Amino acid sequence: MTVTIQIPATLRAYCHAATAELIVPAATVRDALEQLEQSHPTVYQSVCDETGAVRRHIHVFVNNAFIHDRDGLDTALAAGDVLSIMPAVSGG
Amino acid sequence: MTKRIILCIGTKKGLFVAEASKARRKFELRGPFGSGVAVYAALIDMRGTPRIFASSCNAFFGMKVLHSTDLGKKFKETNSAPAFPKDDGRALANIWSLEAGDNKKDLWCGAEPASLFRSSDGGDSWEMVPGISNHEHARQWQPGNGGLCMHTILRDGNRVHLGISTGGHYLSEDGGNTFSAANKGVGAGFVPDPYPEFGQCVHKIASHPDAPGRLYMQNHGGWEDRPGIGVLRSDDHGHTWRSIAEGLPSDFGFPIVVHPHDPDTVYVMPHEPMTRACPGGSPAVWRSESGGESWSRLAKGFPKKESFFTVLRDAMDIDDLKSPALYFGTTTGQLWIGRDGGEQWSCLFDSLPPINCVKIAVV
Repeated sequence: MTVTIQIPATLRAYCHAATAELIVPAATVRDALEQLEQSHPTVYQSVCDETGAVRRHIHVFVNNAFIHDRDGLDTALAAGDVLSIMPAVSGG
Repeated sequence: MTKRIILCIGTKKGLFVAEASKARRKFELRGPFGSGVAVYAALIDMRGTPRIFASSCNAFFGMKVLHSTDLGKKFKETNSAPAFPKDDGRALANIWSLEAGDNKKDLWCGAEPASLFRSSDGGDSWEMVPGISNHEHARQWQPGNGGLCMHTILRDGNRVHLGISTGGHYLSEDGGNTFSAANKGVGAGFVPDPYPEFGQCVHKIASHPDAPGRLYMQNHGGWEDRPGIGVLRSDDHGHTWRSIAEGLPSDFGFPIVVHPHDPDTVYVMPHEPMTRACPGGSPAVWRSESGGESWSRLAKGFPKKESFFTVLRDAMDIDDLKSPALYFGTTTGQLWIGRDGGEQWSCLFDSLPPINCVKIAVV
């Protein structure tokens, strides 16, 4: 079963092919991010800190659902789901 | 080649580099690099061809280290930034200090939460230094307003001095393998014990290579009940400290800087303890030419009133020309130069983002 990870424009420079989407096998969000860590460690480090937590100002969505409204990193995925990595609205 | 002045200005919105001829009349500004991302630490590495390193604390995507080999005309990220081991449980929140190590590619990095990292390949890979990062005190240190930061790394042969807020001063005498708290005489106004073994809110430590064993410290002062603990001096490699605050309008401040040609000449920027801003709205740098025995006020060129800026711990530096100039940046985005050792001040840039750090080099 595979899902799609959408990489935000800011991080595409860390993907060698400058791709906006990665197709990975994963049953949960955690699985998908582990796949990201294996294939694109610099992108992963920009999304998650050393403890494995998603960084404070990064939001991860499964399709249109915010993972914190579901089961966080343990949110189950279905074939064809799309994970979107989005910078949060913050700054000043 | 004609000497140039390179000034790195780390701000809330990225790194700026200003360049001038040795006369320091006009500075050309470029940047911001690492656009939009706070920079708390910069290093102008003068070993061999000058290189610039800067931290880039991205609130979204984490820490990066920027690197330039052309005096700050362009920057690239190094291959990695310091990071805790996966099983450590801590996550890097910021980089507060970058210093040169022994070998050409050796770098030292002080981070938040307070921890030390070293690189032997010019910042492309990093290893945590367990002697201080996993020190038995480390989990007892507490963050100050700026976070739990390791902001000062001073190296003197096999001795390494670290400044931690709030952790205090730590000393290694074996090249950085093991560290001990060395805070005898360093006070704290925010815990019942006025002189704890560790946990002081050290703001900055400075030294001079011609005065081995001597250190100057700007500590968190401004305590009515515990006066004089804010500006200190050690003459025994930091094992013991004594107050040199008498004569200053306030012993609260952040930076402390030593004259490049005279270890007896030291500069501080006193702030009011409550506002963390210039006393009475009238900015002044204070200079001692006697190692802290007496102080004089340097304010020629500053506004005489209605000026309430703050100068943070790493936001003041001094160049090493024959008649050196001081430089400081403010949290209101002004960059000031104090020519002739601080005798005459003028504002170089008055509308930068809030300034976190200032580093100067003559290249």
